[in-house]
Amino acid sequence: MMGYSMELALRGLRRYPKTTALAVLTVAIGLAASMTTLALLHMLSADPLRGRSQHLHLAWVDTVLAKSQTYRSLDSDWATYDYKRLKTPDAEALLAAHKGTLQAAMADLDAQVGGDKGEPSNEQLLATSSDFIPMFGVALQDGRNWTAAEDAARTPVAVIDSELAQKLFGTPKAIGRVVQIKHHAFRVIGVSQPYAPQPHFYGLNAWTFSGNERESIFVPFGAAIDVGLASSSTDGCDDVTEKSKQYIAVDPMHCEWLAFWVQLDTPQEVTAYRSFLDHYAQQQPLGSFGKKPQSQLLSVQRWLTLQNAIPDNVRLNVLLAGSFLLLCMVNVAGLLAAKFMRRGAEVGIRRALGASRRAVMLHHLFEAGMVCLLGGVLAWPLTLLGLALLRMQDQGFTDLARLDVAMFAALFALALAVGVLVGLLPSWRVSMVQPGLQVKSA
Amino acid sequence: MEIRPILASLHKHRVPALLIVLEIALACAVLCNAVFMVAQCVIDGRAPNAIDEQGVSVIHIGGLDGRLAADSVSRDVAALRAMPGVKTVAAINEPPLGPDAMFNGFASKPNEEPQVNSSVYLIGKGAEQALGLKLLQGRYFTDEEYAQGELLPNHQSASHVVLVNQSDAKRWWPGQSALGQQIYSDINTWTVIGVVADVIAQDPSFAGVSGKYSSVFFPQRPSAELNNYILRSDPADRDHVLQQAMQTLGKLEPGAVLEGKTFADVRADYFAGSRNLAWMLVLVCVVMLAVTALGIVGLTSFWVGQRRKQIGIRRAVGASCRQILAYFQTENFLLSTAGVLLGLVLAFAINIYLMRHYEVSRMPWYYLGGGAAALWLLGQLAVLGPALRAASVPPVEATRTI
Repeated sequence: MMGYSMELALRGLRRYPKTTALAVLTVAIGLAASMTTLALLHMLSADPLRGRSQHLHLAWVDTVLAKSQTYRSLDSDWATYDYKRLKTPDAEALLAAHKGTLQAAMADLDAQVGGDKGEPSNEQLLATSSDFIPMFGVALQDGRNWTAAEDAARTPVAVIDSELAQKLFGTPKAIGRVVQIKHHAFRVIGVSQPYAPQPHFYGLNAWTFSGNERESIFVPFGAAIDVGLASSSTDGCDDVTEKSKQYIAVDPMHCEWLAFWVQLDTPQEVTAYRSFLDHYAQQQPLGSFGKKPQSQLLSVQRWLTLQNAIPDNVRLNVLLAGSFLLLCMVNVAGLLAAKFMRRGAEVGIRRALGASRRAVMLHHLFEAGMVCLLGGVLAWPLTLLGLALLRMQDQGFTDLARLDVAMFAALFALALAVGVLVGLLPSWRVSMVQPGLQVKSA
Repeated sequence: MEIRPILASLHKHRVPALLIVLEIALACAVLCNAVFMVAQCVIDGRAPNAIDEQGVSVIHIGGLDGRLAADSVSRDVAALRAMPGVKTVAAINEPPLGPDAMFNGFASKPNEEPQVNSSVYLIGKGAEQALGLKLLQGRYFTDEEYAQGELLPNHQSASHVVLVNQSDAKRWWPGQSALGQQIYSDINTWTVIGVVADVIAQDPSFAGVSGKYSSVFFPQRPSAELNNYILRSDPADRDHVLQQAMQTLGKLEPGAVLEGKTFADVRADYFAGSRNLAWMLVLVCVVMLAVTALGIVGLTSFWVGQRRKQIGIRRAVGASCRQILAYFQTENFLLSTAGVLLGLVLAFAINIYLMRHYEVSRMPWYYLGGGAAALWLLGQLAVLGPALRAASVPPVEATRTI
């Protein structure tokens, strides 16, 4: 019966080609609009470090010896820029405690980096600790990572990426060469592949989605402090901090500037780390500043949600395209209803000859499904066109607009689902045709 | 027009009728909200700004050595001023609608918590002419005040005088003259010496609704903070002058990174995101209306085709062409009305949802009215073709079988 229904459906498609074409085109436009916006949302909300990010957690303890500040304006319509960072002594204490499998403190800094000769260039530098490279999966091409001992000794060593090596030295083989950072020599001990997870979840204060921005040089944060590099932003400073060291180049000892990420592999480890942080928070002398002990341990997904990492208008566009698809579906349902009811007489004869309601309904559902699948096929190039248009806009994140395999499959799954939904009402209606009545009028 | 036969006939064709109503409802709901959002984008992009934008260009200079910046700025301004075609030049920390905003909170009473993100404009000598500020009360800065202006370590101006926006003057001292009043921030105080017409904030979307027109101006002597040059020229040869100025600066400051833009481009770039959104919404609306219209045409054509015989009978017993036409138009009007009513409820619900989750404000009622009218009109236009075809069915049709 399936084969027969399918055959009837194919015949039906060819019968009023103009109506069929209109229905297919409408479905295609609706699907393409939805898939374009969904593909962008899918790419933006993708796991930034597949296989790793579920083990990574951002740890934070309030240790700022000052009254809590709110960064909210009266309208409260802009995000509170609260990046949950730590002061250097606390980051060092958490590193020394070594309670996670791996842990690293990090901050994005702007630095003038020079090679042997030529003008220094402005580079993004990540001041971090030795676990960062294994923990975040930075791929070393050559050389080695620095050690915990070099962290402690604040040794001026650097891992640079192959593109920076090419730029500074004309070759990716840069081990043993010297880079100048703020007129201080740092020895290159490792060369990595360019590293740019999207979104840039471990340093959202620097950027969220980058076109071509990435950290091209990694150095121990102690060594970065020693040469006078400093963060230009902070989440809060102790009251004792000089006013001038609360802006532009903040005091690393008294201001929060390092994000602290820890790798915890099991739920037990997460619970244990949480209680460790709580305990650490309770030891802080914050009572005189009117604050209660506060600590947080956030997973990558939770952190990205809290920080509203995906731009609002991306979600808004998905909603818009979704309602547009809904409209297209209602429209196609209408067209199909008209098409199906036009053959009321024919269905009446089929029913009189003994076709069951189910058979009639199946035939028409198949026909609706095929219209939508054809729409899906046509929607594919349209979606690619839509994504190409998106990439032409320069909004920082739009260059991520691409159709991956999962979304390609989703396109056809959606097309099929739309087909069934759209076909249900018209098919049911046509299957309700009374046999006798139609035969009479024919 | 008797509507009972129409209702009876619609009752018989419940499924297609329901689909048309749903289609119109959805289109109406999305249309109202989309048009409202487009209007918001357009209003944003045209935000007024009381400087003379037409003849202004902005050159950003980066990478100057901090210790030598003071000399560089004086030298650059002098060189630009000497160029033919340049009317006035001045240095400023950041132009209106610029990306690297400098915000601070100020209060009109000591020890009061500031509640608004005010844009801080540090302006070099001559900036009032270069920008084309409109002085409403008081005076501009004197040469002496310009020479003394600098930044304190806490990033507040060391000057003791300030120019404020008209909106701020009204907000801080309602019903009083702002001249001679004091504003406070941190441990510093400044005396208001002049009030200017509202200059827009440096990054208005960050500043928020309250900060959009909260701008304060401090005099500043040449220094590293003044890393933007404002050039005023005749609007006609603005582009040419900007090009020349870039070359002049390129020779003067070989190590610096220069970026020159006309103010028109500064504005266009700032609002590029919302302009893209607006175009996308317009496109969606057009396609959506087309799809809706085609759907109505399709279904009505089907109805007309189905009822040829009945139409023929009506014509044979005396109905005029006009009455047949009116029948289909009335039918469409009834369906549209049902759809529009449902659509208005939906549109309102969508607006409330958007208000709760996104930065969207309440939609004024006339968008609902406009959306409803548009769909009524669209329905009538779409039905016209099939209805005319119905009206042209000859009475003799009654005597034929299908």
